[in-house]
Parts: sequence; structure tokens; C-alpha cells
Amino acid sequence: MNLPELALALVALTSPIVASAEELGLVTDEQILLKRVMEDKRSVYAASLALSDSESRAFWPIYDEYEGKVKKLDDRFLELVNRFAAEYDTLSDAEAADMLKEKMAIEKDRMALKQSYTHRIAKAIPAKKALRYAQVETRIENMIRRDVYGLIPLAH
Amino acid sequence: MNKSFVAIAALAVCAVSGQLSAQSTNDENKALLSQIQTDKRAIVLKGLELTASESAAFIPIYDEYEAERKQLADRTVALLDKFVANYESMTDDAARGILKDWLSLEDSRLDVTKKYAKRFEKVLPAPKVLRFVQIENKLDTAVEMEAVRLVPLAKH
Repeated sequence: MNLPELALALVALTSPIVASAEELGLVTDEQILLKRVMEDKRSVYAASLALSDSESRAFWPIYDEYEGKVKKLDDRFLELVNRFAAEYDTLSDAEAADMLKEKMAIEKDRMALKQSYTHRIAKAIPAKKALRYAQVETRIENMIRRDVYGLIPLAH
Repeated sequence: MNKSFVAIAALAVCAVSGQLSAQSTNDENKALLSQIQTDKRAIVLKGLELTASESAAFIPIYDEYEAERKQLADRTVALLDKFVANYESMTDDAARGILKDWLSLEDSRLDVTKKYAKRFEKVLPAPKVLRFVQIENKLDTAVEMEAVRLVPLAKH
């Protein structure tokens, strides 16, 4: 994508979405999406990190523990999206403020988790591979975010 | 996200490894960041659909926000420079340092969004602040996807 294409994409991204959350079926779509991603991420890492046997033994238990905790945050996020979908057409100031607070709290918890586990991974396998892991993780996170955010209409 | 997630993710992960010069991708990233800063203000203001009085209250705070974001963009460029300088002969120490700076940068970005969302809540209805955060999240994801795509993965 070149710069003019990106600018167009940015405009498209912020265009108001007129369909309601329920009409979009976003909750179901998100649940399917998140389940699919959880299943597939492991194979993406296995292919891209090329870990030795000893590195694998050190990496996968930490990774699995991390994913288990990420799953809980994903569940919290889904609950928030459910609330947003339910209140979408009549969103009050107090509800919006509360959802905003919860969204920020989820993101902060997600960041703390990512920091803690990336540092643990960097101690368990060579730091170069941990950096590569973080790059892959970020690319996957961004793909998920793009798709999930694309399903959620803007508040109005 | 469709069923070919693994293939797409794997492609995205592998596509740029070793194929692009780290220096040229960094130059593209700097151009991208500069372009985004120019276009973003108009996109955000259009997307928020503010009244005249809301605009008068929002814009001065938004400009402060963007000034802080510019500092984060400068830190991003410095981090990319560090990655490029170390790319061909990355040591574990260098990788560890880049990881630490990167995670700290992501955390700072989140803190800035949180801090300004609170300030915006004092001058805008909460649903519009929620809308602002949604737009920011979409823009950040689009920009980061493009920027990350241009950066080769750390070598094994």
C-alpha cells in the first residue's frame, strides 16, 4: 500500500457505519474470529520462530500461560462489545463513560501482560528470537484489531 | 477474518524477511509517519461530527494531544533507527534493548490516549469521546500495520 492508498484507507476506516451493531451480527462474528485466531496462532509461531528443541521446551509453556491470560481479557472485551451492542441505539453519557473506562482498563491489563510475558520469553530463549516473536505477535494483534474494529460501529 | 487466517498471517510474517533493505524500509516508515501527521487531524475532525461549540472546546486539547503523540512518533523513528543500525549483526543485548524500548513506547501511547480521553470527557459528551477513541484505534491500527509490514523480522 502506498501513501495515497493509505490515506484513502484511513478515510474509509473512519466513515460512519450506519447499520446497528445487532444488524451487523458483530458479537457472533467476533466470537468466531477470536476462537479461530486462538487456534491458529500457535502454528504461525511454530513456523516463524524455528525454535530448537530446548528453546521449544522453554518457550511453549510460557506462551501457553500467556495465551490463557489473554483469553480472559478477550472474554472481558467480548462482554464489553455485548454491552455496546445492547446499548448502541440509546447509549447514555454514563454508559459511554463506563464503557470507555472498561476499554482503557482492558487495554492497560493487556499491555501489562504483554510486557511481563515478553520479558519472560526474552529470558527463556535468545533475545533475538524474542524480538522476532514480539514482531509476529504485533502483526497478528494488528490483523485481529483491524478485523474486530471493522465490525464495531462508531458510537453516536 | 476468514478461514485462510494462517496462510495470510504466515505470508505477512514471512513476506518481508530478508527481502527488503532495512534502511529503505525505515525511510518509507519515516515518510509514512510524516504523511499521517499531516492528514490525521482532518480525518479525526470529520469523523467526530462535532458541533461548533464542541469543536471550540475539543480542538485546543486535541492539538496538545497531537503534540504529545508527535513525541511518541519521534521515539518510534529513533527506535526504527536503532533496529536498522543493528539489523545485520543484531546481538542479544541489542535485541533486549529494542524490545524494552518498544514495549515502553506502546505503554506510553496507551497512557497518552487514556490521559486525553479523560480530558475530552470534561468538554464532550462521553459517546463522542468513545467515538474519538474508536477512530484513534482504527487509525493507529492502520498505521501500525503498514509500518510494521515494512520492517523486516529480526534475523534468527
